[in-house]
Formats: sequence, C-alpha cells, structure tokens
Amino acid sequence: MDLIKGFRTTFKHVLQEPVTIQYPEQEKPFQERFKGRHELKRYDNGLEKCIGCSLCAAACPADAIWVEASENTDEERYSPGERYAKTYEINMLRCIFCGYCEDACPTEAIVLTQEHRLSFTNRRDAIYTKDMLIVPPPEGTEGSPQQVEPGKFNRPIPDMENPK
Amino acid sequence: MVTNITKTVTIYIDDVSYQVPAGANLVDAAKALGNDIPVFCYHPKMSPVGMCRMCLVELGSIEKDRATGEVVLDDKGQPKVRWFPKLQTACTTNVSDGMTVRTNTKQVDQARENVVEFLLTSHPLDCPVCDKGGECPLQNLTMEHGPGKTRMNFADKMHLDKHVPLGDLIFLDEERCIQCARCIRFQDEVAGDDVLAFHERGRSLQIITNSEPGFDSYFSGNTTDICPVGALTTADFRFGARPWELTNVPSICPQCPVGCNTSLSTRLDRDAGGRAIIKRVMPRQNEQVNEIWICDKGRFGHHFSRGADRLQIPMTGNAPASLTRALQVAADKLKAAGSDVAVIAGSSMSNEDLWALKQLANGLGSERLGAWPPTHAGADLVAQVGVGKGTNLSALGKGDAVLIIASDLEEEAPVWRLRINQARKRGAIVVVANARKTQMDEFASETATFEYGEAPKFMADIEASDLGKKLAAANNLIILTGADGLTLVESRALMQSAANFLIKTGHIGKANNGLMSAFPGSNAMGLYYMGFTPEATLDIAQKPPKVLIVAQSDLIADDPSVGEWLTKVETIISLTLFNDALAGLATVALPIQSFAERDGTFVNGERRVQRFYTAQGPIGEATPAWQVAGRIGELLGQGKVKLSAAAVMLDITKSVPAFEGARYKELAHVEPQFPMIQKDVYYGGTAYENTGGLGVQIPTAADQGETLNVGEVFVPETPKVGKGKMLIIPTQVLYNRERTFQSSELMHPRVADPYAEINSADAKRLNINNGDMVEIAIAGASAIRVRAQVDGRAPKGAVILPRHLATNAVPLTATVGSISKVGQAAVVEG
Amino acid sequence: MHILLRGRDISDIYKFDVYTANGGYEGLKKAVSMKPSEVIDLVKASNLRGRGGAGFSAGMKWSFIPQSEPIKYVAVNADESEAGTFKDREILETNPHQLIEGAMICAWAIQATAVYIYLRGEFWDVAHALDERIAEARKAGFVGDNVLGSGWNCNVYTHLGAGAYICGEESALLESLEGKLGQPRVRPPFPAQKGGGLYKEATVVNNVETLTNAPWILVNGPDEYKKIGTEQSSGNKIFCVSGHVNKPGNYELPLGTTFRELLYTHAGGIANGKQIKGILPSGGSGPIMRVNGNDDPILDTKLSYEDMAKAGTILGSASIIVMDETVDMVWVASKAIKFFKHESCGKCTPCREGTFWLDKVVDRILSGKGQESDVDLINNIAKNMSGVTLCALGDFAANPIIHTIKNFPEDFKAHVEKKEVAAEKAAPAKAAPAPRRGKEAAAQAGD
Repeated sequence: MDLIKGFRTTFKHVLQEPVTIQYPEQEKPFQERFKGRHELKRYDNGLEKCIGCSLCAAACPADAIWVEASENTDEERYSPGERYAKTYEINMLRCIFCGYCEDACPTEAIVLTQEHRLSFTNRRDAIYTKDMLIVPPPEGTEGSPQQVEPGKFNRPIPDMENPK
Repeated sequence: MVTNITKTVTIYIDDVSYQVPAGANLVDAAKALGNDIPVFCYHPKMSPVGMCRMCLVELGSIEKDRATGEVVLDDKGQPKVRWFPKLQTACTTNVSDGMTVRTNTKQVDQARENVVEFLLTSHPLDCPVCDKGGECPLQNLTMEHGPGKTRMNFADKMHLDKHVPLGDLIFLDEERCIQCARCIRFQDEVAGDDVLAFHERGRSLQIITNSEPGFDSYFSGNTTDICPVGALTTADFRFGARPWELTNVPSICPQCPVGCNTSLSTRLDRDAGGRAIIKRVMPRQNEQVNEIWICDKGRFGHHFSRGADRLQIPMTGNAPASLTRALQVAADKLKAAGSDVAVIAGSSMSNEDLWALKQLANGLGSERLGAWPPTHAGADLVAQVGVGKGTNLSALGKGDAVLIIASDLEEEAPVWRLRINQARKRGAIVVVANARKTQMDEFASETATFEYGEAPKFMADIEASDLGKKLAAANNLIILTGADGLTLVESRALMQSAANFLIKTGHIGKANNGLMSAFPGSNAMGLYYMGFTPEATLDIAQKPPKVLIVAQSDLIADDPSVGEWLTKVETIISLTLFNDALAGLATVALPIQSFAERDGTFVNGERRVQRFYTAQGPIGEATPAWQVAGRIGELLGQGKVKLSAAAVMLDITKSVPAFEGARYKELAHVEPQFPMIQKDVYYGGTAYENTGGLGVQIPTAADQGETLNVGEVFVPETPKVGKGKMLIIPTQVLYNRERTFQSSELMHPRVADPYAEINSADAKRLNINNGDMVEIAIAGASAIRVRAQVDGRAPKGAVILPRHLATNAVPLTATVGSISKVGQAAVVEG
Repeated sequence: MHILLRGRDISDIYKFDVYTANGGYEGLKKAVSMKPSEVIDLVKASNLRGRGGAGFSAGMKWSFIPQSEPIKYVAVNADESEAGTFKDREILETNPHQLIEGAMICAWAIQATAVYIYLRGEFWDVAHALDERIAEARKAGFVGDNVLGSGWNCNVYTHLGAGAYICGEESALLESLEGKLGQPRVRPPFPAQKGGGLYKEATVVNNVETLTNAPWILVNGPDEYKKIGTEQSSGNKIFCVSGHVNKPGNYELPLGTTFRELLYTHAGGIANGKQIKGILPSGGSGPIMRVNGNDDPILDTKLSYEDMAKAGTILGSASIIVMDETVDMVWVASKAIKFFKHESCGKCTPCREGTFWLDKVVDRILSGKGQESDVDLINNIAKNMSGVTLCALGDFAANPIIHTIKNFPEDFKAHVEKKEVAAEKAAPAKAAPAPRRGKEAAAQAGD
C-alpha cells in the first residue's frame, strides 16, 4: 500500500513540467528589482551623470566604493556643474548589491543592472574602474570630456518637480 | 572676550536660573550652559550685527520696584517678568541681572523655522557637490530647525554666478552666499585687511573684493572656515574630498615662530599610491597661540611635504644607496674625523631631531652646533626675559604696550601681527620702530624711525625718550624684535638693549610682559634650548670642520657666501627633505621625514613646546632625522637608537631642565577654551577643537626668579658705506620662492617677481626708473638681477632686497654693495 | 494759515532778504538768548511730534542727548523716499531758510557741533540750491563760527545719498552719512546715545518737516502751537495727496482734519466721478484702508496720530494715495512689494528673502497662474517677515500684503479664480492730469 502511495507521487511529477532549465543555453528572466552589476549613466548629450559627490561611497555599508572628484571646465567637461568623478571604483568582492548607492545618488547616475555574471581570477580584477562602469556615450555624441559653450552646464543637479 | 570677568549676574533661561559673567554675550553665555542658540551671522570672535535673525529668543527682565528695588511678584508669588513685545536677537544682547530668556517656546521654534525657510528660498540645492556639505552650518541647522518641506517653486530660485574668483586663492559661489557678512567683518575687524565689501543691496547683495590683486590678505583662508555655507571655498581644497572622509591629525605649522596649531585633514589618495596625504590644513584652536586663525602660508604652503623634489632614497657620492649602507658610510666618515665634526641644523627641525644630532656630535667630542640661518641672535635672552608664563596676546588691551622693532611682522609672523593689531584695537599702544616703511606702519598706533644700523642704539637710548617713558609706564609691555637690516652682532646688541629696558622697567617675569623675537623657522627657540647657536654657525664658517652634518638647512639657496668655506669641508653629510644642491655636494645624503610624516615637537617664539602628530603616509625611504642621527650614533657605539619620538622627548625632559614637564603626555593635555569650538560648526566655524594638546610653556629665568645675565652690550659701529655703494638690506617676505614654498603651485601667482626697493632720490641719482631691471653686485656673491621698485618706502642709501625671490641667493644679513641699471655701467661718483 | 509752506503765501521767501523781512531767524535769535535746556522744554511743551512717520515727540528726542558730551550732531533727514511723499521737497525748494533755522534751533538746544542735512540722491539740484542758502545764512552769522555772537560754533553741511529708500531709516542714514553702505544698525545704542550716532557720537535725527516747525514755535510759543490740531497731535501737517483726486498735491492743514475735508474741500474730490475703493494713508508702508465708496463713514476719520491708530492704520508721513474703484488691489500689492524688494537693504534675512519671494508669488497670482493656496502662502510669508527684522522696513514690506488680503479678499479671489487675468488689464485708469509734483508722486506710487 505504501508502495503505491509512493509511486503515485512519482507519476504525478512525471507528467509535470520540469522546474530546472538548461543554463547557460537557457536563461531565466529576473525579477525587475534584481540588483546586479553597476553602471554609471550618461545624459543624452553624452555628459556623465555622476558628479563625484561621494554620497554613494558614504551610503555603502560594505565600503566598496571609492570616489575622487575633480573640477570641470567648459573646455573639458565631463559632467554638468563644477564637479566630476576623476576616480570611480567599485570593489565587486566587497559589494553586497544592496542598492543603497542607487538610493543615495542625487543625479541617478549609478544604477544597478541585472547583469550578474561577475567572475575574476584575482582580487585586482574585482575592482571595477570608472572606464568599466560607465556606459558608452549615446550615438552621435562625443561622450566625455567635451568642449561646451560657457555657462550652459553650470548646474550639477537636474531641475526637480515643484512642491504640490 | 577674554573671560577675566569676575562679577556674575543671575539670568533665567527656560525658567532655570544660572550665574553667568556680567556683560557676557547671551549666545556665548547660553552656549556655555549647554543651550545652543542657533546663529549664522554671529561669531564669538567678532562684534554682533544681528543680521541673520536666527538667534531670536523671547527676552524679558524681572520687574523691580523703582523705589525699593524689590522684585515685583505676580499673583502666584512668582517674580513678574516684563517681556519685550517682539522676539529679540540673542546675539545683540548682553546679559544683565534678572534677564529672562525663553528659547524653547513655540514662538521661538517658529521664528527659527521661518528664518531657515527664508534662507533656503535663495540657497541652491548644491549639497552633493558643495565642499562644505557635511560640515555646513546651514545644512545642520536646517536639519535641526528647518521646515520639513519647501513651499517655494523651484523656478522662482535665484540663479547667480557660481564661480567667482575673489582672488587666486578663494572662490565665491554667489548663489550659496547667505549675506551674513562674516567674511567681510573678519577681514575688517580681525585681520585688519579691509578688502571685502558688500555690493548692491537687497537680494542682489553680493560679496566683492576691493583690493588689487583680489582678496589681498594673508588671512583669506580663514573666511572659508567661518563661512556658514559653502559660498567661499579655497583653491587648495576645491572638490578635494568630502569632509566625512577626512582624518584630522593635530599638527603644528612649520612655517614661522608663531607655531599655529593646525589640523591636517588627510585622506587616502590614488595618485599618491593609495597613501594618506594632506588634503587641507585647518586651524586648530589654541587661544594662547593662534586662537582659531592661521595665515594663508600655513594653510596653503603644505605641498612641499609631497613635493616632487623630495629626496626619497639615500645617496652616497651622488649614487643611490641602501639606507644601511649610507648610514655606514656616514658613520665611517665621522669616526675617521674624530672630534673635528660640526653640525648645522635648520630652524624648522623638531626638538627630537636636534637632541639626537647633539647627542651624536657630543658623542664624538664636538660641541660645535650651529643654528641656521644665522640671522637672529639673542634666543638666550628670550629664555631669560621672554614673555612670562601664561602670556596671551589676546589679553593685551588698554594701558598695555607693544614695541615692534626692526621687524616687518606682517611678513615674518602674520598671526602675531593679526593678534597685536587686535590688541591695538582694544586700546593697547603698538609702536612700530624700523629704519624703513613697512606694511606694519598701518597697524601701529605710533611709529618711530632710525637709520639703518642704529636699531641697537635706538633701543639702548629709548629710556630717556618720551616714547620710552610711555612704554615704561605701560601696565604690560612686550618688546618684539626682528633683525631687519641688522648683522648678527647688531641683532644681539638690540636684544640685549631690549632685555635691559624690560628689566629696568620691571616688565619681566610676569604674564604679558617680556621679550619676543620673530626668529626664522618654527623651532628657533628649540635650537637654543638644544644648544645650537648662530654664533657657532659663524664659527664653523670661519674654521670649517673635517665633517659637517647639515640637517634640513638650505645653505646654498640661503647664503651666497657659503661657497667660500663649504669647499674646505672634507665631508658633508646632508640630512635633507629635498634633493637640492647641497645633497648633490654631500658625500652622504639621507632623506628625512617632514613634519607631516612623523611625530615631534617645536618650541614657538613664546617658548611653548607644542606637539605634532604623524599625518600622512611615508615618502620613499625617508626616516625621521632623530632616527637617522640615532642610527649613526648606534653604529659609532653611542648606544641604542630610541624606539620612538616620545622616548627621545623623555630623554630630553630628563636632561634639559627647560623641558621638565614637557613629556608627550603633558604636551597633549587639553582644557576647555573659550569660545567653545566643537562639532557644531555654526558657532565658531570649521576650525578644529583642540584634541592634540595645548602645549607647555617653558618658564623664563625671570619667571623663576633666577639671576639674569644680559651680558655687556656691544653696540657695533655703523658700517661705513663707501662712495658709490649702497647698503643692501635683505628682508623677509612671506610669499617667496623658498624650496619649502615652491611646491605650493597655487601660491605662485601670489609670489612677487624679484624686486628691490630703492629710494626715489637714489633712483634719480642712479638714473633708475620704477620697473627697470637692475643688477645688485655684492662682494663674494654672484650678481642679483631684480626689478627696481621706486615707491618711497626705502630709506635713502639703502636697497631693500627681499630674500628668496630671485634665483640667486641674497646675503643673510645687511651688507654693502652697488646697484646699477642693467645695460649701464654703475654710476661711480667722484 | 501756512506755518511750513510759507512759499505759498510769499512766493520768494526762499530768498534770504525776503525771509528775514518776514520774521525769519527770529526764532533762532530767541533760542540763542535762552538756555539750551529751556529750548528743549519749550519744544517739549509744544507737543511737536516727529513728522517723518513715527510721530515721536521731538522735544523728548532732543532731551535724550547727554549734555556732557563734547561732540554732538544734528542730522536732518531729507531722504524723502516714501512712495507718494513730496512734502520735504517743497519745503526745501520754497522755504529752505526756515529749515536751516529750525535745524540751528535744534542744534542750539543740544549744543551740537555740526548739522548734516542728508538729502536723497535725486535731490541734487535741491542740494546745490540749499548750499547757497546755507552760505547766505553763514554770511549773516546764523550758521558757522560764533553764531549770533554766542561763542557757539556750528556749521551746516549737506550730503547727498545714493538713492536708497532705506537711508530714510535713521540708523541707515547715519551709516550712509559716514560713507558706508546704507544698512540699519543694531540698536541699542540708539543714535541719541554716545556710540550710537554719527561717528559714534550722540546725534539727533529729525525730519525736515519736524524741524521746520521749530522757528514758529519759538516765535509764537508752545501754547499757540498746541491750539492747532488735536489734543495729542498738535500743529499743522503737510498732507501729500496723490492718486485719483482732481487736485493732487501738498496741503498744509491742522492735524485732525478729516479725510473727507482733505479730499473733497481741498483736493477737489475724486477724479472722473468715480467711487473711492482704498486709501494708502502712509505711502507704500502703511496698512491700506478699505473705503466702500464715497459715502463710507471711514472718510470721517480724523487725520491725527491717535485717530489713525484707532482706525487700524497709521498716519506716518501722511502721503495719502487715493485709489478709485477701477484699481485692482492685487496690482497695488504687487507694485508695493516690488518697491520694497527693490529697496530692501539685504542686511537681514526675512526682509531680503521675504520680499524677493513675495514678489514672485504675487506676480504669479497677478498673471492668473496662482492658486488659492498661494494667497495663504503670501499672507503667511508676510506675517513671518513682520516683527522679526532689524528695522521697520520688514514690517512695512509685509503691510501691503497682509492688509490688502485682509481688506480686499475679493480682488485676490478674482485672480485665483481666473476671472481677471492679464496684468495690463488690471492696471488702473489713468489718474487725472495733475500738477508737476503730484504727477511725480503718482509715478512714485506706481513704483
């Protein structure tokens, strides 16, 4: 009797669809909220959104982010406003992908993507530099730094919505 | 502001009674009682203006019956309080008996919230990129008192210029400015350089500079500390780091004898190989020394500590060597020389270094210890009749006097100048006596002049003059000497005469009385206490030893005449920060650490032993000079090298009586100071609370009632200037091309082109016009080419030649030479 | 009867000879024959109140000056810049010697060492003419060294400001006189105290009109003076009437005259047969009065310090701006706040930032883009501004907002409900053609 009971379970599952997938040939879609590797975003004109404010580093509970800032000029402009990130590094071994950096960012520059395939063969490679993190400039823009007309990009933070 | 008020009154804050010093400012008094009344425009070091309206409180006074003086009681038997109908600004109120204050009512809260809201309507949301973000009074007080949300349309915000250089060093962000006028008032009231002002009115009110070049003041950096927002930022620190990322290390400024307490803000830096480097220099509160101010040289002149010209590895015979090998070579050379050894040590070396060098020389049987540069004599007199223990320049006021003689204090010790100018404003008589006109005349209540070379005579004869009588009669008298235009012998004579005058008039052995001198470097007094003298340096030059140890002294750049005798020295062992010309000449060049990389102590001009701490990461193989000397000594069998700077100091305290009670632990002692500079940056600014120690002042011989020995005054004959010759007067300018200042590139625009001041009569005679290129020829030195400045400040027959401006070295002390226009033979007069 | 505007009776009284021929400088002669303290008592007894706006007793003010001080000053406030005020100018132009005499009487009373007449920057022609008048008086021995043989030396100087409303505030006036930025000072110390006045010396600051009363009081005695006006407000006052009246201009009438008499008997009634809607009794700074048409009993309010206070407003400098039914009060508030925004010195936060913010929001309401909450917002901002500033300008700047909202809520409602929109449409009908000075005043009132 117990035997029949056991087989019933087995047969029931034979007819069901398998839950496993053939990774890496097949990939399972992620939840929208999944937090993976970071990206530094750009504005449509190719300027970097990051203004080097270090708030992400301050918010980081794992002390994984290192930012050093420098000053923009209109001849050599990386980002709107006076300040940009000269150095931007994330140690992916330290990062716990909590997304606090994204929350802290005043310009929505740092965004956690769904990319999760991070592997390194030594500790040094785990440090993602700014070149690795920043997205390529949108098509038709020269990226950063660029020479801009004076006085056009003197505000670091985009305008906000008025109070209701 | 000095709290020597003994009378107290009773005031009531939020229904609790307190005893406070009569006449104290209400904000200060409340602060001392732990009640933080928020302020933006008020600053404890400046007179109140009541502009920002942040400190509004409910104010009243207990009603007293006019006839009887009895306190009137209300129905409940409580004292009846007569309240002002409107809120009053606490900052413009001085406490009086029966004053009643309420700081915690709804009305007060609302008023504070309103003021913050008003300020924020025009303030940009820049905090993420603002250098002040994180240590910003407006940010902090907004969190504490501000409204939770905005009622203003963002489109209605002011948009103004965000990048206005007020000068080469300070930038103004017009949007961030909240018009508190702290910077303007600091420059006017505290610094005495009234170079900032308001322009326009209403919401268009803006800070401008009215000097040429812009913001022309040696104290400009302090305005960024007291700015309650990020409107003023320094060229040095702009976007250097966020304040919360910084580690603040207590230090002492190595630039001049004032010995300002500083705080080195360090942070790891990728460009420095991940080591900690100085990001900025901030003042650290020491009310007896520098209050909460530092000069711009101290603030921005730190770059030499990471300069590209730092010597990083030991050299022997101009080839890199390992430290062990280099030390061995040095030891061998010293051993071979026997006792024919001498040391010349720079005036910015720490006491530990000097002690170790002395031990090394003594161990070899040599007592020849020279101080560099040998310009100012009489440190022994400062040790005897220097300003008494407990001296505080802030205590000088009405009835007191300061005589500044033969010194351009503005250029030699700016913070002393600032503090003495404040004393003058409080009513002290400040007499500036010099042979030439200087900037100091502006800060004097009286001036006196004498011929060059006559300074010792002037001082010796002062007693009989009206001026002398006035000084003698002062309650407190400080004489501050320099060596402007004096030879070392004359400098000694001046110091002796000054000491004699002080002794005769009884102005010794008590606080705020005695002798001070604007010695070069940060540790000239330490040199004296460790046994290094300028006279010994001259002796070394006269009779060069076989082996000379030169420690942290730029002989070649400082003195054109060293070439004459340095060649006679067989072996030079150079302990140096820089890979300079002397390091090239040396048989052994050993890299040493700067003040920023190690622990140590300096003795300032007021004989205060002060301690500095390790701030930034090491550079190359540089080690502290005390360790270098100690290890050489060890190789020579002089005993084991000490393990730490603290251990060296312990040794000093046991051997040098003056340093008794100056162990590191005692030097690190701190006491509460007024004003209370704490983490609440809104009150005192971002100057740092002193946690590293206030230092210990060495008592003078006069303080301890010991017998004084001024020595016989030898007033030398004024040198005869031959026909067609001029007196060449080397002077000190604050911003120059010394190696320790050159690495601070941001200061380059502020350093003057090489120039020499000459009198208009001389200029006419020699056919020299203002701005002409002239050549100054001095016997035994290469010609110096500079621009002539004919501005009526130089006395007749003298050429005022600032040191360290031109590439060629300028003589250390006054000498005779000739001046001629370039491309024209010197005018020879029959 | 004119005490102040005597130029209306004797057209060339500005001339020295004509002035002396008509009893000029008799008051000063009488003063110098008396002890200074007696002069102060006499002026105190006359109940002469300051005509600059606050209405403080002149004699009291003079008596605050410590007599023991060696250096004392008189500063004459001729920085007439309140919107709709043009009385001092007429005195300065047509009866300058009486002002000089009045200032010298005050100077004698406090034994001042010098008199400074601070004129607004736009009065440069007036100042030059005044310099000549002072020279005449000096030549005759009424000003300068050894005044009237008394051994007392006191000179009179004129000083032109640089065009700032705030310099009419006494401490800002002193700052400006010292050559500094015109910003009010912290008080105490008050100008009358050592340390608070001009160059830190005790100083009396009086309005032109106040001092011009003094010679008459000296000659005719305080009792005669007290017979004019009401019990608490003695003497004549010059009323500057502008706006929608048929005959705008200066009217010198006893204090206590009613609005009705002033507007209908003297100023020729309301222009174009319209109804009155509102009156600004003290230029831009006083609380606006609501008048429900020409028959409103409020027009029977007496123009005196005490009666105006009872009516919830102030007499101030008595620059009466009359507005008829065509006027949109939001537009008035907007013009007033623009004026104060422009004139705020910027020294203290609430006024500097408040006027700036108010202007933005009022503009929004005026352009029809405002919401009901915006009206509450400006009311609240204005209330937050008042009572917390260093000088009275903060309160003045809040007044036009608070009181227009209080007295004319329907005008604001109309705007936020978008019944009226364009700002141009809201502008009032052109006022009747007016004499030169009146027109200028109207222009002032409209920013």
